[in-house]
Amino acid sequence: MLSSDTFVSATMKPFIVAENIAKAYGGVQALTGVSLSIAPGEVHGLVGANGAGKSTLIKVLAGLVQPDAGQIVVDGVPVSLPTPHHATDLGMSFIHQELAFIPGMNVLQNILLGVPKKTRFGMVDWRAAARDVAPIAQRVGIKAPLFASVKGLSTAENWLINICRALVRNARLIVMDEPTASLSAAEAEKLFAIVEDLSASGVAVLYVSHRLDEIMRLCSRVSIFRDGRSVGCLESTAITRPALIEAIVGGKVEPLAAAERRTVVRQEIALTVKALTRAPKVNGVSFELRRGEVLGIGGLVGAGRTELARLIYGADRADSGVVTLDGASFSPRNPTQAVKAGLGLVPEERRAEGLLITKSVAFNLQIANLANIVRSPAWPLIHRRKREALSLQIVRDLAVKTPSIDTPVGRLSGGNQQKVVIGRWLLRAPKVLILDEPTRGVDIGARGEIHRLVRELAARGMAVIVISSEPDELPDLCDRVLVMVEGRIVSTLEGDAITRNAIVEASYFVGGRPIQEITI
Amino acid sequence: MSMVMSGGRRLSPASRAALGFFARYATIIGLLLMIAVFAFLSPRAFPTLSNFTNVLNQASLAMIIAGGLTLAVIVGELDLSIGFAASLHGVLVTGLIVANKLPIPLAIVIVIALGALIGLVNGVIVTKAKVNSVIATLGVGTILTGLAFAYSAGVPIVAGVPEAFLQLSLGRWLFGIPNNIVIMAVVLGGLWILVERTALGQEIQAVGGNPAAARLAGINVDRIKILGFVVSGMCAALTGILLASRLGSGTTSAADSYLLTAFAAVFLGSATMRDGEFHVLGSFVGVLIIAFGFNGLNIFGAPTFSQYIFQGAILIVAVGLASLGRMISES
Repeated sequence: MLSSDTFVSATMKPFIVAENIAKAYGGVQALTGVSLSIAPGEVHGLVGANGAGKSTLIKVLAGLVQPDAGQIVVDGVPVSLPTPHHATDLGMSFIHQELAFIPGMNVLQNILLGVPKKTRFGMVDWRAAARDVAPIAQRVGIKAPLFASVKGLSTAENWLINICRALVRNARLIVMDEPTASLSAAEAEKLFAIVEDLSASGVAVLYVSHRLDEIMRLCSRVSIFRDGRSVGCLESTAITRPALIEAIVGGKVEPLAAAERRTVVRQEIALTVKALTRAPKVNGVSFELRRGEVLGIGGLVGAGRTELARLIYGADRADSGVVTLDGASFSPRNPTQAVKAGLGLVPEERRAEGLLITKSVAFNLQIANLANIVRSPAWPLIHRRKREALSLQIVRDLAVKTPSIDTPVGRLSGGNQQKVVIGRWLLRAPKVLILDEPTRGVDIGARGEIHRLVRELAARGMAVIVISSEPDELPDLCDRVLVMVEGRIVSTLEGDAITRNAIVEASYFVGGRPIQEITI
Repeated sequence: MSMVMSGGRRLSPASRAALGFFARYATIIGLLLMIAVFAFLSPRAFPTLSNFTNVLNQASLAMIIAGGLTLAVIVGELDLSIGFAASLHGVLVTGLIVANKLPIPLAIVIVIALGALIGLVNGVIVTKAKVNSVIATLGVGTILTGLAFAYSAGVPIVAGVPEAFLQLSLGRWLFGIPNNIVIMAVVLGGLWILVERTALGQEIQAVGGNPAAARLAGINVDRIKILGFVVSGMCAALTGILLASRLGSGTTSAADSYLLTAFAAVFLGSATMRDGEFHVLGSFVGVLIIAFGFNGLNIFGAPTFSQYIFQGAILIVAVGLASLGRMISES
């Protein structure tokens, strides 16, 4: 069923072949060795769990990232892609989830950005340009006039403009990253038609998506990545939902076991969330969190989990919904109020949102704890010995590997940086601690230590929420797991029902039903 | 550890360390070199206690305004209104004393409070109305210039300035230390303690270092930013008052040029001892470099235009050094 990855269609020479591409960021191996070959006119699917290496491979193909090993062959010739320009020149075009337009320019100008244009008397001949572009725009179904502003156009139209842009540059391969993520069903349908049309005219498409029904419908071949490796390439009739999930997860998918209640946690409720909504990312989320409980929130990237955490934490404002903390209504207007009320957040983006990278370990540990290290409220000079003692205590308790507490935190490894962010909250002992992807980019050893620490905090009565995109992480750690899909909780797993397979299975569901069953 | 420069060159650890040292101490080495060269070329006029005291006295006003600006830039904003504000404050304080016959201390308190208010306005426009600080403070500064002209009708207030007000800046204190230096030392000392030693100072540094992280750590980022503008505004007021006292008049636009001096000093300071981080002591060193540079140029009779060229060039060098330091520390 799983064929070799270096498969080459007998009838057609591949347009592009990537062989054994490897890439490490710092100490983290993003790609260990992935291979991929795409024939002209082929719609090739690329699937894999979060962190499987899909984005890194796309960046390599786009010339944004230089691989450590492996080679890329275009039309049978080995090529190097030191810059995005080289990739464009070879006929590759990339359409990302966040589409980038220049808002002040019209549709035509955006389509022709970076393309040499005809001139008349030294000035760009926009009318001639429009004549050239019009048939292509019509082919992909752009309804907006070419001279209209791109402001206010829908995401779907943005996609069409991007596809048009690719065709104007004579793209032979268009890479689409989660193309239907923010499209309506009807818009997605149109996109599928265009993809099929592109394919028929010999333009290859690399279709990257979590939505397996789309993959099954459109793709003639599907490559599956897991943990930075190619684990298989399915063809035509072999592309089935169970086969895909099995390859993504790396094991047989067991049917959902009946939920079995764990009776260990019977403490009072710390946090309740009722119908919390912030369109479009969070849609009516409700759950309860007890003291001493570790609650996992699983799902795919973009399912709205980080957004949910930010709502509870007051970093964003909710459209509607009610949150109570220790039985009292709780609606923080900003994180300052949330922290005062007894919440703590370990954010997803450690370097961007968690740490002051050039500041010392002690600075980063104490920044949420300043009231406890001043000489007195009336004389708020920092008590340096108190600061040092408390910092050293955390460094020792969490086994943070650092030369000293005055070392800039940016010099520490990812795992130790994460311990510093968690350690910051230990000093405050919040009632509810939210950890967003706590072990991303963290080595195995530190990961185990962080997990132990989370369990220990819960044992001391703290209520803990762990958001993780790694299906492996939550079963070890949590008493209960909620799975979110498209801003909703689609599944609640408890006790022995919390398995990696159950989480993955639920992550690919919409509204409690498999995506496959929903007719688009 | 090797670092990659923007061009893709890799540096050996030794050259990285050397470059790091250069970026950190280039300003201080430059200051000492400059003093040494001037002392060598003009051994009688330059390296004397009275000349050094004079330089520091002259520089004190710039140090105060640069110290205030340091707070604004630490919280990650630019305050371009300070020079114009100081000019208005100079006109206003003289006017209050001469025309309204207010007691000198009261006039000073009122003007400093006004400086705080202007800072508050800047801060609220930037944090609540989300106007870019360059635009907001440039707009406010221009309005202030207009107000200064409206208040004084463009005519310097010279007549009737009491001797006691002049003595504020011209007087000397214990051991004959000029008042300006004493006031500057108190202000910069206070700012240094605020930033480096208090809980509030830690929050100020956190907001400048990474506002997103500071916010999620529970710090009220807007309030801290507004505080930065308020301190900057108060220091601008103090500089305006001392300048009016030194000149013996309230003159519109008299303090405008402090804006450039303060910026050059603050950026020079960020390249001093720390890798591109703004700090009070650094800004002090920054003003010192500019002041000694001017002093040397004066002693050698260099034409006035050379001062502008010197100051402009030093601003560019300072920003270059600061970003070099930042690049090395982040690699």
